Amino acid sequence: MRWNLAYRTLLHDRGKLTAGLVGVIFSVVLVNLQGGLFLGLMGKTSTLIDRSDAQIWVGHRGMRNVDFAHPFPERWQYVVAGLKGVDQVEPLRVEFAEMSMPDGNFETVVLVGVQEDSDLGRPYEIVTGPADALQKNDAVVIDDCDQDLLRDPALNELREINGRRIRIAGKSHGVIGFLANPYVFTRYEQLAELTGFDRRDTSYLLVQLKPDADADAVCEAIEARLPDVSAMTASQYAWTSADFWIRRTGIGLSFGAATLLGLLVGLVMVGQTLYAMVLDRVSEYATLRAIGLNERELLSVLIMQSAIVAIVGIAIGFVLTVVLQGALSTPKATIEIPTLLYLGCGILIFVICLVASALPYLRIRRIDPHVVLQG
Amino acid sequence: MNTNSRPTSHPTSGDINAFAITPRNAPSDSVAPGAVLRAEGITKSYVIGGTARKVLDGLDFRVDYGESVFLAGPSGSGKTTLLSILGLLLTADSGELFLRERRVDALSAEERSQVRRDSIGFVFQRFQLIAALSARDNVAIPLTLHGHPLHQARGKAEELLERVGLRDHRLALPGSMSPGQCQRVALARALITEPALILADEPTAALDGVAGRAVMELMRELTTNFATATVVVTHDPRIFPFADRICEMENGGFK
Repeated sequence: MRWNLAYRTLLHDRGKLTAGLVGVIFSVVLVNLQGGLFLGLMGKTSTLIDRSDAQIWVGHRGMRNVDFAHPFPERWQYVVAGLKGVDQVEPLRVEFAEMSMPDGNFETVVLVGVQEDSDLGRPYEIVTGPADALQKNDAVVIDDCDQDLLRDPALNELREINGRRIRIAGKSHGVIGFLANPYVFTRYEQLAELTGFDRRDTSYLLVQLKPDADADAVCEAIEARLPDVSAMTASQYAWTSADFWIRRTGIGLSFGAATLLGLLVGLVMVGQTLYAMVLDRVSEYATLRAIGLNERELLSVLIMQSAIVAIVGIAIGFVLTVVLQGALSTPKATIEIPTLLYLGCGILIFVICLVASALPYLRIRRIDPHVVLQG
Repeated sequence: MNTNSRPTSHPTSGDINAFAITPRNAPSDSVAPGAVLRAEGITKSYVIGGTARKVLDGLDFRVDYGESVFLAGPSGSGKTTLLSILGLLLTADSGELFLRERRVDALSAEERSQVRRDSIGFVFQRFQLIAALSARDNVAIPLTLHGHPLHQARGKAEELLERVGLRDHRLALPGSMSPGQCQRVALARALITEPALILADEPTAALDGVAGRAVMELMRELTTNFATATVVVTHDPRIFPFADRICEMENGGFK
């Protein structure tokens, strides 16, 4: 009967039910989209790592961000290659450069030098232009999501990087970094030619492991043999890169504040809705108290109502989130909402809705059943 | 005890005589009949404008099994306060209250809820039905509080609604029913658990003469069937004939 009472009372006052649902839906959508935008943005901090097939990244000691590499001797690749458990090693160069624009301006780009026959370090797929675009002389590959930043370069258009002529030989799609500077891919050797990067150095060594090798043990072995480098598994380095930006920019705080705001709105709206419902029905609650319902039973009615509002609101919110994610997510503003985020958001908002029933409960506790006899 | 009793003859209603109920509240032959409810030396004061005003002044009162007692008197004479105390909705400042020989005036709020649930049915002046629930579900509430499954409670509620002539309104919401119909639903709700005691506060005040009389006939008939004692607060002299005894109150005491 309490269940019957709870949901029928809710449905009876559709205006207030709608207000409560709007609060929950707003919270669910806001938390998921904020969380998804945050994760999407954080995902960009490790684009090169996530899009490579390397299991271990070796960089200069203290490496903290994949886009800010510090050179170290390329010949150390042979030391790494000789370690137990290592199957394959490839060098990768990352360096900042300036690309000329048709209007005479320059755009700072992150130049990534990959080996022509790379199995590990090619973070892009060419979607416009020949698959072997980088084999052409002076060729670079840009990402079509950066068309605006690079002033709409056409395929085979000539530009300059650091004063040297290059040709836009191909375009990838969706390889966007956390920085506002576009990635430009070129051959490993050509990066040195374009930037003056010391040919004896490299930025990273990308390691592929043998099938049964222990990645952590190999990292330890690399650092033991080469004290001036850091070796991290791909997931560790991806997290380190994300952590670098979170700490340096305070971005987690801003997204977290917006998310908290969403939760707060949900809490207030659900609490206020249930409270208003109780206020409207003080007389009915007093009647229920008079005919024998105790406080615990009335609280259970409130909790059921909160749970109903929460479950229905969360379900609608999820559907709306999926629709909005599909409509709004772009490579530049990626909204990544993993199942775990949906699950965590759902549980959190459900709990918040239950907490919201505390406010009307405090009102119900003060209801005196005697009032039903006072006209 | 200073109660002014006026025995009356009971009107009957022809359309509800078909009820065949085994009264559960009547004491068995082996037990001496006694009071369902007994109040001794009940005193209650309210502080109004910083001054304590005695509303009930050492009242003694009792209701026997199956008896229908009316509390009459002018506004402010203490009728509703007494009814609230008898229904364990309000605590007396002093005095003792016994329900079926169990002392109940010093119980905790939780225990009082349990006593109300188990032994007392209420009929309110403004019906106090739950607006979102159908007539059937309103009537079923007290039975579900006793642990009956909802479908069973609904079944019994439908039987009772049929007895009060509202079978066709069992799925109607209170807002769509007339005051007389609502009060009959409230009466069915008060009686569904066959409580030992019914407390009714101005049950005909919101009804016209015909509807009021019909409700009182029904209450009289059903409480007789269930052997339920009844205490009715009323201003309405038209329903005095339904009382076994009328206690007229004035200035916190009986005349």
